[in-house]
Amino acid sequence: MSMLEFTLLMYCYAALIAVLAISLYGLVRRPNILKKIICLSIFGDTANTLIIFLGFRTRNPIPPIVPTLTPTKSLMMEFTRRAVDPVPQCLVLTAIVINMAVLMFLIFLAIQIYRHYGTLDVRKVARLRG
Amino acid sequence: MRGTELIVVMCTVILIVAVTTAVIMGITAYTPGPEVRPLAKFYLENCLNLWNRAYWAASPEAVCSMLWDYRGIDTLYETTVFFLAIIGGVTVFRLIEVTPPLESLSEKIRRVLGLSVIVRTISKIVASIILIVAVAIAAHGHLTPGGGFQAGAAISVAPLMIIIALSRYFLEERKLTKERMLALRTVGLLTIWCTVIIPLIFALVGQVVYAMQNQAKPWTTFPGFPTGQLSTWIAGSLFIYNMAEFVAVGAGFTLLFLLLSLPEEVFREFMRRLTRK
Repeated sequence: MSMLEFTLLMYCYAALIAVLAISLYGLVRRPNILKKIICLSIFGDTANTLIIFLGFRTRNPIPPIVPTLTPTKSLMMEFTRRAVDPVPQCLVLTAIVINMAVLMFLIFLAIQIYRHYGTLDVRKVARLRG
Repeated sequence: MRGTELIVVMCTVILIVAVTTAVIMGITAYTPGPEVRPLAKFYLENCLNLWNRAYWAASPEAVCSMLWDYRGIDTLYETTVFFLAIIGGVTVFRLIEVTPPLESLSEKIRRVLGLSVIVRTISKIVASIILIVAVAIAAHGHLTPGGGFQAGAAISVAPLMIIIALSRYFLEERKLTKERMLALRTVGLLTIWCTVIIPLIFALVGQVVYAMQNQAKPWTTFPGFPTGQLSTWIAGSLFIYNMAEFVAVGAGFTLLFLLLSLPEEVFREFMRRLTRK
């Protein structure tokens, strides 16, 4: 791996980790429930990106799909040598859709909270005591 | 106040950096290099291994064959979790009955509800294109990037757009109601479970099978699902799973969007009636 490639990779890791940190900060410190939900979705998506990124490989990567249904042996060997790691992609695929469903559920709860209390501020909701 | 905030920020940053470093460097001892792990190599080698069919999934796409064959049970339960998340959303709205409150609804939809004529026409065209694309993504899920989950997420954009441009009554008038979506969602999940159980029926007659088995193996007597011919390659059960998942995810999200777009007056009226009782 050349110096430039290594620097780029480390830059990507640093950027992803920075986004994770910022979104976690927002999740903990922002009092508005809607902002908490936004931060949660950013946090989840960044985590998924990080997992996908772990499957990357440096030597001329190709997607993990055999281009033909009647491959030759040499084609399959080259495919195995060059394709990126499919395991993280498979893991993230279902996580994204389930994240989306859970997000919708949280939004439903937030709407109900607003209807009942007239506010989305967690400090005020805590003070109202039901 | 500023001091505590600073401490919280510092702790968050340190926690995140430590955890990610541990995951990236420590546990997996892995930075992007030229080689993948042996597990990934196994999947890449065997997903379309025409010469040794003991472990093959009959699909050229490694991700799809992992999703519904090698790690099939995992995905099965993840689908069930998804179903429960949607049930949770429906439960919040369980008591509210929505009846179309307007007389001569189709006239009203055309005149009053929704956005301008230009937006409505364009939305109808784009929504129909989205439907076609989503079906294509699902039907080719075992050959190209895509599959049931992605197609379901893609098709759920169409009702969302129609709700914004033409109001939710447009969908309800076309019988795309909450109850029907829930039924469709359940049918999708049931189809997946039935396909899982098909090999087990063979076990009742004394055959050797696995639950959720796709292709025949040398040490089992289950003949395997048909792979199809070259022009119509369906990769055994992967096609069925993809289509069922497509229906399930698409109907599930449409259901959530229908609930989310309920007008505020319906709730106010409902709450008023509830407190009066």
